[in-house]
Amino acid sequence: MPLLPDEILRRLSDRFGDKVRPGKSPGSGQVIALVAREHIRPILAHLRDDPELAFDFLVDVTAVDHLQLELPEMEGHRFAVVYILRSLRRNHIFEVKARVPEDDPVIPSVQDLWKSALWGEREAHDMYGIEFEGNPDMRRLLMPEDYPGFPLRKDYPLRGRGERDAFPQYRPPRISAGSGEAKETAP
Amino acid sequence: MGIEKIFGDSVITTSVQAVVNWARKNALWPMPFGTACCAIEMMATLSGRYDMSRFGAEVIRFSPRQSDLMIVSGRISIKMMSVLLKIWEQMPEPKWCISMGACASSGGVFDTYTLVQGVDQFLPVHVYIPGCPPRPESLLDALLKIREIVDGTVANAGVSPETVPEPVKGST
Amino acid sequence: MSEATGTKGERGLSPIEFEDLRRGHAQDPSYRGEHPEPRFFVTDEEVDEFGGKRMALNLGPQHPATHGTLRVMLELEGEKIASADTEIGYLHTGFEKSAEHMTYHQWITLTDRMNYMSAINNNVGYAIAVEELLGIEVPRRAQVLRVILCEITRIADHILCLGLQGMDMGAFSLMLWAFERRERIYDIIEAVTGARLTTSYTRIGGLFRDVPPDFPEMARTFGRDFPRFLDELEGMTIGNRIFEDRLRGTGRISPEDAVSWGLTGPILRACGVAYDVRKAKPYSGYERYDFDVPVREEGDSWGRYLQRIAEVRQSLRIIEQALGDLPDGPVNIDNKKIVLPEKGEVFDNIESLIHHFKLIMFGHGITPARGGEVYSATEAPNGELGFYIVSDGDMVPYKVRVRPPSLYNYAIFPKLIIGAMISDAVAVLSSLNIIAGELDR
Repeated sequence: MPLLPDEILRRLSDRFGDKVRPGKSPGSGQVIALVAREHIRPILAHLRDDPELAFDFLVDVTAVDHLQLELPEMEGHRFAVVYILRSLRRNHIFEVKARVPEDDPVIPSVQDLWKSALWGEREAHDMYGIEFEGNPDMRRLLMPEDYPGFPLRKDYPLRGRGERDAFPQYRPPRISAGSGEAKETAP
Repeated sequence: MGIEKIFGDSVITTSVQAVVNWARKNALWPMPFGTACCAIEMMATLSGRYDMSRFGAEVIRFSPRQSDLMIVSGRISIKMMSVLLKIWEQMPEPKWCISMGACASSGGVFDTYTLVQGVDQFLPVHVYIPGCPPRPESLLDALLKIREIVDGTVANAGVSPETVPEPVKGST
Repeated sequence: MSEATGTKGERGLSPIEFEDLRRGHAQDPSYRGEHPEPRFFVTDEEVDEFGGKRMALNLGPQHPATHGTLRVMLELEGEKIASADTEIGYLHTGFEKSAEHMTYHQWITLTDRMNYMSAINNNVGYAIAVEELLGIEVPRRAQVLRVILCEITRIADHILCLGLQGMDMGAFSLMLWAFERRERIYDIIEAVTGARLTTSYTRIGGLFRDVPPDFPEMARTFGRDFPRFLDELEGMTIGNRIFEDRLRGTGRISPEDAVSWGLTGPILRACGVAYDVRKAKPYSGYERYDFDVPVREEGDSWGRYLQRIAEVRQSLRIIEQALGDLPDGPVNIDNKKIVLPEKGEVFDNIESLIHHFKLIMFGHGITPARGGEVYSATEAPNGELGFYIVSDGDMVPYKVRVRPPSLYNYAIFPKLIIGAMISDAVAVLSSLNIIAGELDR
């Protein structure tokens, strides 16, 4: 029988006390559990291992940049890392958020709990610049390796800062016609 | 061609040139550089209903060394631009380029940090096809226009493979 | 117009230089078999088993066998793959960033371009997410039409995957047949939405417009003729020694791995896990229709091939039931704050003009509650397509995150092909149905 998100939140609060702050979204009624980043690993491990909850499927890892959306529960933290969990056996879904400050954007990785976190965290790092400790592969996923900046941050403009006009690229060798050899003129 | 050196500019070379152009335009081998949605429409053009092999252009071998018409279909990001330029350079001359769709021609609906706003900043484009994605008939029309460019019926509007724009921006 | 001179060094074939490549490129001359980036799939014991010299090969971003722009860097021992790594992002477009600068309605046009094989599924997924954020429900006619069109485009996506799988195995006719059938689907979609591929058909609160009156007849004819194509496809491939042997046994995924790596869709169901969003959390009226969720046990490319054929058959069942279920009525919800009024009324009475103004001009528009957020998932042909939307009370969303099924389906790929041959790698890649537009967004 699937548990409702309110019930899951209540069980989490019973077990972890005030480490879990409940939240409810206006409009959609989505239930959220807000935690501090130090407690994210034990809470997620409990969600996975508890036989009643049994969240064996990590749907997505993403982040929200609250630079322009000041919410009271964010309290000086800029990023919120969002974990969306699903239980295939019990058929319920739940969302956990962890707050991450701007000057120290580090959070422990959960890639040993669910392998899908490997690429989910890579993309959150690529787009927001959040470091996930414990993820063995923190290369950029979508942007070029040497790209300066994290695109989905709110202070990054839509059209970029000129990278799309000045990017490293393959240069063909300049060959002058009429001679039998390739002259390498400096491009 | 070597024959021009021997005979210079005489009636023999112009006749030979006419025959060569006729052969080229009827057997254009496209190099489909398909990245996104336009690639599906290009594949549909190559398939049964809108048949591109009527015009002799069904040989797509994905090898730039053996093709002479590049069809850039789909959005080109800054990561992909180097690859596109390398493939273009690997194609032997004479070569022509069709920029298919809005994204390849001008960036399309996406005016973002990561898309090249038109491949004509880096490649000499001979025919642009608007549309998102363009209908297969548009691609066939573009192919017919390329045929007119190949055999000289239509002036080349100043775009020729010699004038490859210098990719000066950025470092290697 | 210039001529090919043919003499080396003149205008013609130009040498390709390799020094200016980025660090870590497989054909970098300083590459000596030690991958500079971390390799975490091959241990030292496995390396000894191969012995001998290794070659680095790049199935580069432009390659006929990679569907879209993927780069796979292989290390080969002869023909066997010793280790593999992959790089994506060659089609990254910035969809999510664009969403923060476009209104909710404007972004619908961008949703088609993600999974461009089945555009209506993306439209419906996004519309359902925003409708959940606003807390509204569309009329039943809109729901049924969404179901019918979703299933039609799901069939289009699956048969294209099957056709391209055939093409990668060398059976080129399968691709041509698949494209012919897709053209018939395009005819239906064009009659309904006006466009073949990028439809932008749904609106928040309903649909763009009602279907033409002969749509049920068109869909019924399509549903009657289609099983014949499936029978032809099965006749060509099942029992075909070459086809079967190339696909059997390649890219086997265990159910535990599939769940841990976040796979969804036909890939997960071909491993034995019966998870379908349409059954787990039904949306848009799917709970009213009777269809099975086919599940196979093999978990390899052959299982995925048969899985997609079985899913197409189930989709045909759903279409037939939904056509019988189609009620009359409006296709748009009757809420003037969300749905644009009819153009005739806009020009006739002042109230509709005001509503039109309020929906289009800046500062107004569809405004969900501030701080509202939603995660809503639908079953796209590739798997679970989720939209996570955060709103700040403005007419422009604060954040839109697309949970792409192809991304998580592709993450497991480098691990699957270790020990296989290059042609098996191609077979596995085509069976995963990676759409680059969705992978990179």
